[in-house]
Amino acid sequence: MPNVKISLRQLTIITALFMIGTAILIVPSALAVKAKQDAWIAALIGIGIGSLILALQLLLSRLYPDMNLVQISEKLLGKWLGKSVCFLLLLILFLGGPVAVLQEIGTFLTVQIMPETPIQAIIILFGAIVLMGVRLGLEVLARSAELLFPWFLLLFLSLSILLFSQVKWENALPILEQGPGPLIPAVCSFISIVYLPNMILLMIFPASVNRQSEANKAVFIGSLIGSLILLLIVILSILVLGPTITEKTMYPSYLLAQKINIGNFLQRIEVIMAVMWFITLFFRISFYFYATVAGYCQIFNIKNIQPLVIPLGWILTTLAVFIYPNVMFEHNWEARTWTPFSFIFGLLFPLLLLGLHGIRKIRSKGAPKKSRFPE
Amino acid sequence: MNVALILMTAALVVWLELPRMLREREQRELWGFSVLLLLGVGISLTQTFISDIPTPLILVASLLKPFSDFLTAIGLIQ
Repeated sequence: MPNVKISLRQLTIITALFMIGTAILIVPSALAVKAKQDAWIAALIGIGIGSLILALQLLLSRLYPDMNLVQISEKLLGKWLGKSVCFLLLLILFLGGPVAVLQEIGTFLTVQIMPETPIQAIIILFGAIVLMGVRLGLEVLARSAELLFPWFLLLFLSLSILLFSQVKWENALPILEQGPGPLIPAVCSFISIVYLPNMILLMIFPASVNRQSEANKAVFIGSLIGSLILLLIVILSILVLGPTITEKTMYPSYLLAQKINIGNFLQRIEVIMAVMWFITLFFRISFYFYATVAGYCQIFNIKNIQPLVIPLGWILTTLAVFIYPNVMFEHNWEARTWTPFSFIFGLLFPLLLLGLHGIRKIRSKGAPKKSRFPE
Repeated sequence: MNVALILMTAALVVWLELPRMLREREQRELWGFSVLLLLGVGISLTQTFISDIPTPLILVASLLKPFSDFLTAIGLIQ
């Protein structure tokens, strides 16, 4: 593993940008499909439960402060079992994470902005930028995140403020029309899109952070910033577009940007707003991809990750072209396979590791007692 | 035409990465590099000859189907 160090502020920004990632495009409709006008309640509950899950993941990093995820699982599961479990998890994560997100940005651009451009052109161009970033290393990525985050905030705040005149409060009524039942799957999909993949950030912190003891706090603040931004975008989609349109649109937040209209003069600025999504999607793909490369290097004991970036990136871009044959497949995959997988990866896997840690601790406590009182 | 383009890009990548790896005598890096590059070139070449390759996600979906069915049964996902 390369010995790079990033600062706490960079870690906070990375976490926030990674969490916002694709979620800012797809979360409003994913929630509105299940919870209708109560999507914002589902997001609020999701933030609560998600923070608990994040605390669980962070506990793992506090117990092993100088190791990354692969090293932790090698230590707790044994060398070969740990390596093979991580290999499988990282493989599925690679297919469902960076590849799918790269395909997502291709679809987004070809559907909404440039309908006559072949999707391959966009995927190859965007993939090339990601490869450049990851090849230059974690420090460069972290610094560019630090530079681009204010621009993202500026665009996001201007989107929210410009939309304020279009808010219709009656769109959020009636509250809890069908009882709390439909909220449960909505909360689950919110957690699985936003919080559970954060587990992959354990490949980056705490081992690569300069002040390790405060890394957890930095990640927590970052996750709060990210989830508040997502909550705001869900509330805006519900209040401005209404639950029915939010549910039936593929990218509700893009439609939100189209709705901006100040005095019939300031309108159709959605492409400027789209820069916001390019920033977050870039960091989502980059950190997924960085974590995959670093994880595979760790599994195969490769010290220098740089030479592997371009070949794996080649696989990333070629797979991204045909990963989803059609939109129906994508919806089915997200609901039926990605959600269960992220529960396995983000919740059951850390629980298993924590359980094994507990067993080890009990055993190692028992062992010296035995030696002290021999039979 | 497409095949030539793919092979040229592969040659470019090799030219970019190989000399440094040889100089630093990074054996494991070299192995990983060649396996991944061959895989990538293989997928690209298959794509030029067969227009609709089934996605690898079908395999993952069938692998996770029991767990997914379980979660659907207890109402966590729809």
